[in-house]
Amino acid sequence: MRHLKCLADALVFVSLLLFASTGAAHAYVDPGTGSYVIQLLIAAIAGLAFAVRIYWGRIKGFFSKSSPETQTTESDEQ
Amino acid sequence: MSSKSALPSSFRDPSGFLFTEDGSLYRQVNQAYRESYDHLTGSGLYDALQDSGSLIRHEEVGLELARTDEAYRVLKPQVVPFVSYPYEWSFSQLQDAALLTLDVQKKALDFGMTLKDASAYNVQFVEGKPVLIDTLSFDRYDEGQPWAAYRQFCQHFLAPLALMSHTDVRLGQLLRIHIDGVPLDLASSLLPYRTRLSFALLSHIHLHARSQKHFAERRVDVKSRKMSRLSLRGLLDNLGSAVKKLKWRSEGTLWNDYQEEASYSADALDQKRQVVAGFLDQVQPKVVWDLGANVGLFSRLASDRGILTISFDADPGCVERNYLESRRKGDTNILPLLIDLTNPSPAIGWQHEERMSLLERGPADLVLCLALIHHLAISNNLPLALVADFLASIGSSLIFEFVPKTDQRVQRLLSTREDIFTGYTQEAFERTFGQRFEIQASIQLEGSERVLYLLRRRGA
Repeated sequence: MRHLKCLADALVFVSLLLFASTGAAHAYVDPGTGSYVIQLLIAAIAGLAFAVRIYWGRIKGFFSKSSPETQTTESDEQ
Repeated sequence: MSSKSALPSSFRDPSGFLFTEDGSLYRQVNQAYRESYDHLTGSGLYDALQDSGSLIRHEEVGLELARTDEAYRVLKPQVVPFVSYPYEWSFSQLQDAALLTLDVQKKALDFGMTLKDASAYNVQFVEGKPVLIDTLSFDRYDEGQPWAAYRQFCQHFLAPLALMSHTDVRLGQLLRIHIDGVPLDLASSLLPYRTRLSFALLSHIHLHARSQKHFAERRVDVKSRKMSRLSLRGLLDNLGSAVKKLKWRSEGTLWNDYQEEASYSADALDQKRQVVAGFLDQVQPKVVWDLGANVGLFSRLASDRGILTISFDADPGCVERNYLESRRKGDTNILPLLIDLTNPSPAIGWQHEERMSLLERGPADLVLCLALIHHLAISNNLPLALVADFLASIGSSLIFEFVPKTDQRVQRLLSTREDIFTGYTQEAFERTFGQRFEIQASIQLEGSERVLYLLRRRGA
């Protein structure tokens, strides 16, 4: 699954960063690349969480529809 | 001054710019932005954002008003009654502006567009609510594209909010120094270690800063990496919950527990309200600046009369409470702002022209200066003549409360310092202010030595 691969990438990357050094920034640094890379990784994780929430909401919605006594249960789906 | 002048706040954007002509504000949309502009209006996004009150309203006017040949459209946007900046907002004001930006981005995605920037300066408070004012911020969204404004959102909103919430609310002032938002390495080093335990703050700030550093001098083919729409929605959702989770409780700041009422008997406070209200009705100003407004008790006398009231205080706790109260009541005429009068917002940015100083945004029709003079004259050693000059420069009418040296509040200010203020008397006040202003009325508050004045600037 694509998300799992991204997640594995993310974990490797995060551990790399945790051990990387932080020092003074140089004048010619380009903050754009780093922002781009981290965004892809965070979005992969956040996207997965978002998908789980949506599907969980649907599953809950399905069961609450099929059992009339729990029809008032609200779905988490957005 | 030329009748047509381009505003320096919008020069960075090739899509178009703002200009004024004969006192009216216009926005030129350039040919370069044609496709995006047509999509914004044609897709229904503009209407949807109008329905939610998230984007400033505009009307299209004739192309003959265009300033250059590149013009595709000329717009006449609704005028923002008072321009304010993120370093003048309280915690919740910045938080509401952040949430608005994310809401607009989510809505834009539904219509196949994306925000190309997420600058806090693109948000203004209009009728009590944050509104996006940059109509040219939208680009077509291509599937797989990450959010181009992600870094800017973190720098302009998430980092300062996290610092205000977890480190010190006064760090919101970093926005005044860093015009493109708080650098993430700076935010990361100032935030307490425990913020690394939050997934959102760990990733969007700490790891983000590390990643910027790590890739600063490396060549990476980032363009080939795509990001699904679901991932983008997940990212926005995560940013939204991170922003919402940040809290700041305003208890314990200097003036927050200060009860305006404590200086007066119930009768005197009631009388003060009536006198100020009577003066307001007499002058009938359109714009009031309330200096040292505390939580806005007297500002509301003006705003409840439908007068646009800018309610300044130097204490972040007071401004926060003032804003929360206005938001709760749905007050559309009051704008609480964090301003230290002894060091008001300067003009900043390129050539000092991108963001206006406080004084450039005046003058007001009427200035409220209640129970403030002793803080200026005694706590800050400001001579009465300079205070009079300043007040005359920001408004044509003035409602002023003189607090004599015998007042218990002044006595408290003097309790730990030598009294070098021999010139601080009611008689000296009337003489000094009389050179600048005509005294139209003065009323002593019952059971108090304080005096309320209505003053009119000479020649106004």
